Formats: sequence, structure tokens, C-alpha cells
Amino acid sequence: MNDNIRYKAIIIGGSAGSFTVVSKILSKMNPDFPIPVIVCMHRLKHVRSGLVEGLNLKSNIKVIEPNDKEKIVGNRIYLAPSNYHLFIEFDNTIHLSTEETFNHSRPAIDHAFSSAAYAYRDKVLGIILTGANRDGANGMKEIHFKNGTTIVQDPESCDIDTMPKAALNLFEPDYILTPDKITEYLNQLSV
Amino acid sequence: MTVKVENITEIKGFLQELKEYSSYDLCEYSDSSIYRRIKKILKDHKLSLDQLIAKTKTDSLFIENIIQEITVNTTEFFRDPEVWRELYQNFYPTLRNKKYINIWHAGCSSGQEVYSNLILLNELDLLDKSNVIATDLNSKVLKVAKSGKYDKKENQEYFENFNAVLNREGNGSDILFEKYFEDGVNSNCVEVKSFLRKQSDFQQHDLVKEEMNNHAKFDIIFCRNVLIYFNSALQTKILKQFHNKLTNGGILVLGNHEGLNGFFKTKFIKDGPVFIKNNTFHFQF
Ligand SMILES: C[S@@+](CC[C@H](N)C(=O)[O-])C[C@H]1O[C@@H](n2cnc3c(N)ncnc32)[C@H](O)[C@@H]1O
Repeated sequence: MNDNIRYKAIIIGGSAGSFTVVSKILSKMNPDFPIPVIVCMHRLKHVRSGLVEGLNLKSNIKVIEPNDKEKIVGNRIYLAPSNYHLFIEFDNTIHLSTEETFNHSRPAIDHAFSSAAYAYRDKVLGIILTGANRDGANGMKEIHFKNGTTIVQDPESCDIDTMPKAALNLFEPDYILTPDKITEYLNQLSV
Repeated sequence: MTVKVENITEIKGFLQELKEYSSYDLCEYSDSSIYRRIKKILKDHKLSLDQLIAKTKTDSLFIENIIQEITVNTTEFFRDPEVWRELYQNFYPTLRNKKYINIWHAGCSSGQEVYSNLILLNELDLLDKSNVIATDLNSKVLKVAKSGKYDKKENQEYFENFNAVLNREGNGSDILFEKYFEDGVNSNCVEVKSFLRKQSDFQQHDLVKEEMNNHAKFDIIFCRNVLIYFNSALQTKILKQFHNKLTNGGILVLGNHEGLNGFFKTKFIKDGPVFIKNNTFHFQF
């Protein structure tokens, strides 16, 4: 494991309840953090909008809901828009799709993670947070087996630990960290 | 059975054969989504890519089925209610003085988008002067669209959008669902009332291969969540067609997270959720 590799992107997944954790992480991140961060969160059925505004209030780095074919650039947080799946393309752009729900979800974290695994291979850091279902575990595994780096939120620190535990059942991640330690890990990447 | 197709160029080979042996040209669909769809088809049909290609060359019925599986047909009534609110409150009222309103839904899937629009037009008393044409590549979804019959369960949450668009004020004069849909008490489906169905013209049409030549210019073109499946070159080609087919000041309604690619940014003005054709005369294709 080599922490000095420059990641091309960081991808974070969590279910609806992970909003607090994500905003906490974003609120403590270095404002000129150079690496793009892609966030894929499930949304509660009736709360389809307002998430990006909510995150922007907390975040030190600009959070946007990308358009289809949008180029991924550094010092930006990309939030998967509601009702679309988000995929990363080989040319470092975002692809959105309305295809059928996966793991009962759209966006599905597994789709986002596995596309990142293919597009970035060892140059991606995948982080899975608190969550009440299994979506994301398989995608994390793909990142792991394509030699990307993986962080699973410490189940002890989770409101609902189904998601992290599902991941831990499939592979051994590089790190198991609390949200604070995750932020610390990220910030040391930018120095 | 796990199917391994590691190579996108092999998929391209299939698309080439498909183009040769059928009327369908998917060569310029966006790589990764085509790749995913075809991987899924191979898995669902338990076929190797070679077998898929062989069948494509000999079995035209099979091709029709494959096309239906490759295209992504998900749709909703009043998808993105806030967009329809905008059209209803701000844009459509400006069409009052027009003699006719020509509207094209390109990639209409099973028709929910079209009926949503017809409902708004009716509420604004614009239905009688509207000519609505709705097209899609996929003949199977068009059949559903024409029938106007929708599964209650599958569309359940989307009927809620109906209220989000039409009944938000809560001023007591709610527009009733029953005004537009027959709701068989014991049946699992709702049916769009015939006065709306009569106003719609569903036709099979391939955006990639045919232009809408025999048609007057359009005041509104809907093309929502269709171009995201095409690569940039094909998007540009289709956008150019739309630009040509719009009246000056006509509007293009794309999906919520679709933008215009570079060249067209100056040819349209973005106004809320719609793109208005830019009225500059020095510009000609
Ligand atoms: C995701 S649906 C969008 C439905 C609707 N416009 C909406 O936003 O809810 C995409 C539709 O585009 C159609 N489509 C794909 N390729 C096409 C082509 N070359 N010409 C016409 N329609 C096409 C598909 O069959 C599918 O029904």
C-alpha cells in the first residue's frame, strides 16, 4: 500500500442516513483540496431536492450536481443527482443514466463504484459510510480487486452498520476509520 | 454463468454487424452504456458475443427484441415536477396568441411525458390548437403509449407528481386525477381518457437515421433523457437537427441533468429549465 500515489479521484458512498457524516467530512476538508470527490448517496423518496444546497452550506469545497458528459476536475465535489445512476467514463467524464434501479436504488452506489474501479484502477480511493442496505459493497470490492485503495467507516461509529459490514464481508479494506480519521486521511493527501 | 467481454472493440464489432443486418445504427451510442446493456443481454440470454452476432445476422425478430432491451425506457408522469410547473406557469401562457402550437416529443418512451404535457395544455385551454407528435425508436413502448394504459403499482409514486404540478396551492379547487384517467376499481391499471389519447400522434422514428422533414417547425421539442445515451458527436448532430426544426424563439426541453455541448451554447439561451432558440439571423447552418 502506498499512500503517496496521487489519486485521480475519491469516491464516497452512503445511504440516506450518511448525509450528516458526509457534511461533517466536507466541512473539515482543506478548502483547496486538489482531488475531485464524487459522492453517491441514496435519497429518501420524498426528499429529492435540497441535498446539494445542504451540502454546500457545510462544505469548504464547491459541491455540484453534474450534468451528463461533464468533465471531472479537481477541487470539486460531485454529488450524484437524484433519479439518475452516475458512472465514471474512461475519459474522466461523468455519464448519467436513467436505467432501471439497481439494489432498489437510483443512484446505485455499486454502479458508481464499479465504474470508478474500471476507469481509475489503482488511482482511486473508495470510501463507504454508514447505511442500511448492501448497495455499494460489491462496488467497493471491485475497487479493491482493481488495486484501488478502500476505506470502510468503522461500524462502531455508524448509525446503521449494514453497509460497512456488507463490505467487510467481501474483502479486507486498507483502512477501517471513524469519520474524523477519514477527514484526517483525506487532508494529508493534499499537503 | 459469468460472461466476460473485456473488450469494447468486440462490442463495436457487434454494433457494426447490427448496422449491416438491420435498420438500426447504434454505433454512436455512448460506449460505456452500450457496453453495459450488451453485457446484460448476454447474461440474460446466456449467449456469447459470437452467438449474439450470429443470431443478429439471421433472426430479425430477435433483433427487435434486442433493440428493446438495449434502449433504456424508464419514464414517469411529470418527471421532475418543478420543470412542468415552470412550463405551466411561465412558458405556456405565452403561447396563448398562437394559432397553432406544434410540439414534438423525441424519445417519448411509453408516453407518460406526452400525456403529462397534454394535461397541462388542456388545463390552459391550449389543447385544441396543439399538434403533438411523439416518436420513439422502440416499437414496444410505442404500443403502450398508444394504449394509454398504465400499471397502477408501477406508476404509483409518479401519480403523486400530478399533485405536485397541478395542485400545489391547496386552494380547494383541486384538479382531480379522474378528470384525465379512468381508474378501474378492480383493475391494476389506469387508462388515459380518450379525449387526451385522440390528441396524440405516436410514431416510430429513429433520431439517428431520419430527419423530421415533412413536418412544420416546432414551437417546443422535448428530448429528455435520450441524448445522454449518445456520444458527443451524435449529440451534436441531433442538436443541429433540433435547432433547424425549431421556430425562432422555440424551446428545447432536455432532461434535468443534460446540457448543450460547446458549439450549441451560443445557439440557445438557457431560461430556467428550457433552452430557447437564439434569434440571431447571422447564424445559418
Ligand atoms: C429514458 S427514455 C426517456 C423517456 C422520456 N423522454 C423521459 O424523459 O421520461 C429514452 C428513450 O429514447 C429512445 N431512443 C433511444 N434511441 C433512440 C433513437 N435513435 N431514436 C428515437 N428514440 C430513441 C428509447 O427507446 C427510450 O424510449
